[in-house]
Amino acid sequence: METLIVDAEGKVTIPPEVLHKRGLRPGDAVALIEAAEGFLVYQGGVDPQTLAWWQALSEEDQRHAAAEAHRYEALSDAERDALWNEGAETLEADAEDDECELPAS
Amino acid sequence: MSCQPRSVLLDKGVIRRVYERRVRFALGVPPTPAHVEAANAYAQLCIPARRLYITAQTAHILDRRPPLFAAPFLTETYTLQKGRYLRRWARRLRDFTFTPEDAIVVAYGSFGIDAHRASIGVEAIVTNDLKLATHFHAHQAEIVHRFQDMIAQLPTPYAALTLPEIVTTANILSQAS
Repeated sequence: METLIVDAEGKVTIPPEVLHKRGLRPGDAVALIEAAEGFLVYQGGVDPQTLAWWQALSEEDQRHAAAEAHRYEALSDAERDALWNEGAETLEADAEDDECELPAS
Repeated sequence: MSCQPRSVLLDKGVIRRVYERRVRFALGVPPTPAHVEAANAYAQLCIPARRLYITAQTAHILDRRPPLFAAPFLTETYTLQKGRYLRRWARRLRDFTFTPEDAIVVAYGSFGIDAHRASIGVEAIVTNDLKLATHFHAHQAEIVHRFQDMIAQLPTPYAALTLPEIVTTANILSQAS
């Protein structure tokens, strides 16, 4: 773990050895994530699951994925929210018919 | 998370952000910090010894999305079914001012059924919703008390159920670093 000091302008300096080790160059983006324990600095780049997903696609599927991605990104925030709220569950007691018993093991 | 849970329910918001991270990757557009956080946490959680779950609603949404993006999530996770008493517990959670959606997710953590394994409940729920996690932890003692009161009235195997831990994606990353 590295300790970084915030200067008067709110900037922090990443030590040169860390920059070198992580291959970071001027202009590269890092993400600052607020956690209960403090701030985490995440290097830009792709996580292994996303990379594995992309690499498993054929070139044709990658083109289709890009076209689908364009369609998704063209949606408004409200449209995306609606899409991710489809089939919202109800808490009402009269909806309990779809609750199932634990099957015998 | 103090231990490595073997069963984890992923909140819909986590799946959405990982999905959107992949959308942006396909476009060559930089992800937001929220996308990065969720995708990195998801990658940390995807290990063979751990069973990842989604709710029936998340599965329903993914079923309607393009398979190129949605199919991997449906392959890598299992869908929990609503077990008996799930809604009853969710309604009691509403007394702690959880939103209906948050109450349902927390209730899945105890009353969600894995039909393949004939098991019920998960050890942890992973969410990107800091408010949900904070609210749960702030009221945890009262929630535990209310939960124990409820399950004490229920027949076996429901009387032996437990509450899940509520863990944020940021928690997952902080423990990995």
